[in-house]
Amino acid sequence: MTPNAVSTGSRRSTPSRRGFLASTAVAAAAVAGGAPLLAACGGGADNGKKDGTTTGKDAAKLLPAFVASTVVAPDIAPKNGSAAGFTRALPSAALKASVTRKRGKGGALTIMAPFWGPPPAPDNPYYRAMNEAIGVRATWQNQDGNVYDQKLGAVLASSEIPDVVVIPGWNLGGKIPSAVDAKFEDLGPYLAGDKVKAYPNLAAIPTDAWQRSIFGGKLRGLPMPASYVTNIAPFYRKDLFDAKGWQLPGSADEFLALAKEITSAKAKVWACGDMTWTAYNMFGVLSGSDKALGWNLADGRLINRIETPEYLEALEWTRKLFDAGVVHPDEKTQNQGDTGNRFTAGQCLIYNNDLSHWYAKTSEQAAQNPGFAMAAMDIPGHAGGLPKLWATNPANIWAFVRKGSSKAVIEDALAVADFTAAPYGTKERMLTDYGVEGVHHTVENGLPVKTDKGNQEVSSSWMFVASPAPYIAHPDTPEVTRAMVEWQQRMGAVTSKSSFYGMTVTEPSRWTGLMNDFEQLEKDIVRGRKKVSDMQQAVSEWKTKGGDQLRDWYKKLLDTNGSAAG
Amino acid sequence: MTRRPTSSRWAAPARPVWEEPPSRAGLAAKGLILILACLAVLFPLWIVVVTSLSSKRTITETGGLVVVPRDITFLAYQELLSGGQVTRAAVVSVLVTVTGTLFSMAVSVLCAYGLSRPGSLGHRFILLTLMATMFFGAGLIPTYLLVQTLGLTDTYLALILPSAVSVFNILVLRGFFMGVSPELVDSARIDGAGELRILWQIVMPLSRAVIAVITLFYAVGYWSAWFNASIYLSDQNMMPLQNVLIQLAQKQEIPVGLGQAVKAGNLSGLAVQMAVMVLALLPVAVLSPFVQKHFRKGMLTGAVKG
Amino acid sequence: MTVPALVLVLVFNYVPILGNVVAFQDYDPYVSTNGVTAMLESPWVGLAQFERVLADPGFWHAVENTLVLFLLQLVLFFPVPIALALLVNSVLRPRVRALVQAVLYLPHFFSWVLVITVFQQILGGAGIIAQTLRQHGHEGFDLMTDPAIFKFLVTAEGVWKDAGWGVIVFLAALAAVNQDLYEAAAMDGANRWSRMWHVTLPALRPVIALLLVLRVGDALTVGFEQLLLQRDAVGPGAAEVLDTFVWWTGLRSQDFSYAAAAGLVKGVVGLVLVLSANKTAHLMGEQGVYRK
Repeated sequence: MTPNAVSTGSRRSTPSRRGFLASTAVAAAAVAGGAPLLAACGGGADNGKKDGTTTGKDAAKLLPAFVASTVVAPDIAPKNGSAAGFTRALPSAALKASVTRKRGKGGALTIMAPFWGPPPAPDNPYYRAMNEAIGVRATWQNQDGNVYDQKLGAVLASSEIPDVVVIPGWNLGGKIPSAVDAKFEDLGPYLAGDKVKAYPNLAAIPTDAWQRSIFGGKLRGLPMPASYVTNIAPFYRKDLFDAKGWQLPGSADEFLALAKEITSAKAKVWACGDMTWTAYNMFGVLSGSDKALGWNLADGRLINRIETPEYLEALEWTRKLFDAGVVHPDEKTQNQGDTGNRFTAGQCLIYNNDLSHWYAKTSEQAAQNPGFAMAAMDIPGHAGGLPKLWATNPANIWAFVRKGSSKAVIEDALAVADFTAAPYGTKERMLTDYGVEGVHHTVENGLPVKTDKGNQEVSSSWMFVASPAPYIAHPDTPEVTRAMVEWQQRMGAVTSKSSFYGMTVTEPSRWTGLMNDFEQLEKDIVRGRKKVSDMQQAVSEWKTKGGDQLRDWYKKLLDTNGSAAG
Repeated sequence: MTRRPTSSRWAAPARPVWEEPPSRAGLAAKGLILILACLAVLFPLWIVVVTSLSSKRTITETGGLVVVPRDITFLAYQELLSGGQVTRAAVVSVLVTVTGTLFSMAVSVLCAYGLSRPGSLGHRFILLTLMATMFFGAGLIPTYLLVQTLGLTDTYLALILPSAVSVFNILVLRGFFMGVSPELVDSARIDGAGELRILWQIVMPLSRAVIAVITLFYAVGYWSAWFNASIYLSDQNMMPLQNVLIQLAQKQEIPVGLGQAVKAGNLSGLAVQMAVMVLALLPVAVLSPFVQKHFRKGMLTGAVKG
Repeated sequence: MTVPALVLVLVFNYVPILGNVVAFQDYDPYVSTNGVTAMLESPWVGLAQFERVLADPGFWHAVENTLVLFLLQLVLFFPVPIALALLVNSVLRPRVRALVQAVLYLPHFFSWVLVITVFQQILGGAGIIAQTLRQHGHEGFDLMTDPAIFKFLVTAEGVWKDAGWGVIVFLAALAAVNQDLYEAAAMDGANRWSRMWHVTLPALRPVIALLLVLRVGDALTVGFEQLLLQRDAVGPGAAEVLDTFVWWTGLRSQDFSYAAAAGLVKGVVGLVLVLSANKTAHLMGEQGVYRK
């Protein structure tokens, strides 16, 4: 019994934080209904509840025209859905201007966004420099990312919504999609078709990212585009693999055998972390990162990922890993310690996470652990050979503008977006990513290096307002940059798009909770707390409780709208 | 009074004459239990402190929390205390805690005293009204809308008013107030003392121990609260200490792929996290003697006699 | 005198509690200009949400876990602070006593995140004890992810964190005991144990009764943050309690109406429990929370 002072409100907590990129897959699946909505019809009542999606001809009327940007040619051209790679830094004199005049009208703009870690002070030189360059007076409300879903839910229910609100896909659970429709402005009148050409950097955002930004039949979101190639890479300790002469596994069985060889609990070394996501990729399970992506048309019938034999096989295989004791024991808890830290500490030699970890861990270890080397292995097909991978969403974080905002506010918001979406090699990109030279970064050996002040103030939040087409640029580690892009290209070559790829689909509310328990069941099964047959049971219940009706609903959607993937 | 002054506070005060000396076995058992209990607390605390003082290399080699100190570095604390952010937040926290605690105590003591007088007007109904709030909560959205409608968002009042009254604390206070001898109160009343004066001059001095305890409860509650601030405040400069510490503890894990520079070097995120815990413990360690002096055995006896 | 507290409670508790009317609706806070007007516009569904709650096997499973955990805590946790208080109180040296006391309540100020991390590092599958065993050729073990013993683990964590803190209320009560009573009892020939039985415990009884009644009323609350943090480690089968269940099913998917209905059910049960417990206390001659 705890004598509990003050209110219970202060004791509320949230589960462990999710780093935002790494978690697009997990978090979107965790949040019940990752899917926003919308209606196939254009106009009409804005507040009306609609479900469905918008594609084809209806979407064509809403989507901005695409005008590629050719500021700097990438060192590695994008291919198979990969990002573009930039391996060199440009001297500041060579940077181009992609925004030729100050677009902002100097108006005040409040922007709310999630933030993990200590946010910069409100009125700092970096914000001032950005505001000055864009021509706005933006004030950031950086909210604790751990409780962002709660803050967002409350703010959207109040009558004081900030001018611009950033919402990640994993916060689009429950009724938030309907709030997006009700509370945020249609940007179509400013961006549809050729109108976007007034904002050249927004015009260079790929069309499928815009397609994902259609909510409630209107173009409401400013997207942060992403590569559609799976973002979950299985990393291994290349230094230790080379030293021991271990060969990369070419199949699921080889993986298990290798894992047994690596594990030595006595020496505090385990082969891997929780490899469930990689198992899905190895076995060719449809993506679980978004509800609509989990459906695919096969032989004229829509099949959900949970109904496929591959799904059960992937779970069974992961369960074998846990069973064999080759998974680090703390992984069972899921929130104790950080798998990446165990990887760098040599306690677990394989783990899977967002591709960006490749660069992050490599540069983090460079200073203190010179022998450290890591790489992502190509995902093996479960039976050997190449895997069959499924595309993820081409955008999963958006910024929205409050409904009822004046034209001036909307244009200021678009001015910010056009600035932060500037491509690599521009002055705008440099200022956004590195701040002011001499204050936030210095140039050493031709490479920009952030100062302490830069580390404190230069925040990635601006990129949430809109970003350029996917790119990877780490001039300090050109070989890692190249390896990352090439990994994406090899994986992209075996990636297919499922029937609802790139669509923002809103399911009818009576079915949004249907899938809620599956993620937990998956965890229980691989950790040996439930049996695979429990999953079969759950799937048949899912069918009778609405899964089959949902299938018909999706089928109808597909028949009316067609597939965006073409 | 049976207690005599002793030369050193470490020495045992003379045992009261009427008390038989304890058996050796009894003493040993008592000592053992207390020592074990203290060790159960101190061992994990030791791990936390040592980890907060360890370098990243040590933590990496250990693969987790560090038991045996190898190299001592204050880097985690330097990191936390640099930049002035923590200092400013500490001032905010102290002010909110002091103001909030005084306010809560004033309101709670008055309420508890009012409810402790037998036969006071509608006290049973009021008690039930208060108690019901212990069982029925409100969702976040209605609470947020209320605080916002009252214009309290982005003010420090949002950190105090919504959580100012703890019914649990009022009930405990009331329980103790009811133990104050009614004769004393009645005689004071006959002497013409008003209720406030009775409360101030008789009931409160007689209830010093429980007042100390409840003050501590409120203060600790205000000091460690963070959720309200994260929901009701938007301005980073207004954040109290706990929020800033939580943010700092996360700093090492910022996703780095987005142009956010990697914080490489010798500092481990785990050490920062542990240092945060140690810093949070400090005020408690400083304050506890002040509270404890109100627990002296038989403290009330003298007061009642006097 | 009660007015300031009442006003605060009415404004900051009762007004938002009115928001619980959404339990009788299919509430969507975003259909209107704000959450309050949305209440007026959301459709009324009568008791449908309550039917949903009561027909949900997950709800009953969570209730079962909650009650088992409550009973465990009542038996294994509740008496600990009382025993510790008596023990600490019997230490004569003031410095030693202050020191012991200060040490014992330190863990209260650890966050649950840290408590669980520390337990994991000591008792977990790669923890200090398991690794030491392995290095000496024994099998390791993992106490942190075993659903079978999870409820005991939760109770032990609770004792470690909060037993010392719970002591201070009882110490305050002990400070109020008239020392002359001990002397008189000793004169009458009562020994150490009978003095504790006839003088100390009666002095603590009102406080114990008060806390017990409140604890029983709060039986359906058994540590939200602690369990939420460990739910993934053992699975909901062992760790899902009422509060975490409502959080996951209701709030996470923003089913506010469902959450409100579950909250109301919980509140009614709590109120009934506290009133019965209070009644029982009266029958046993205790003051309880209220009377007179």
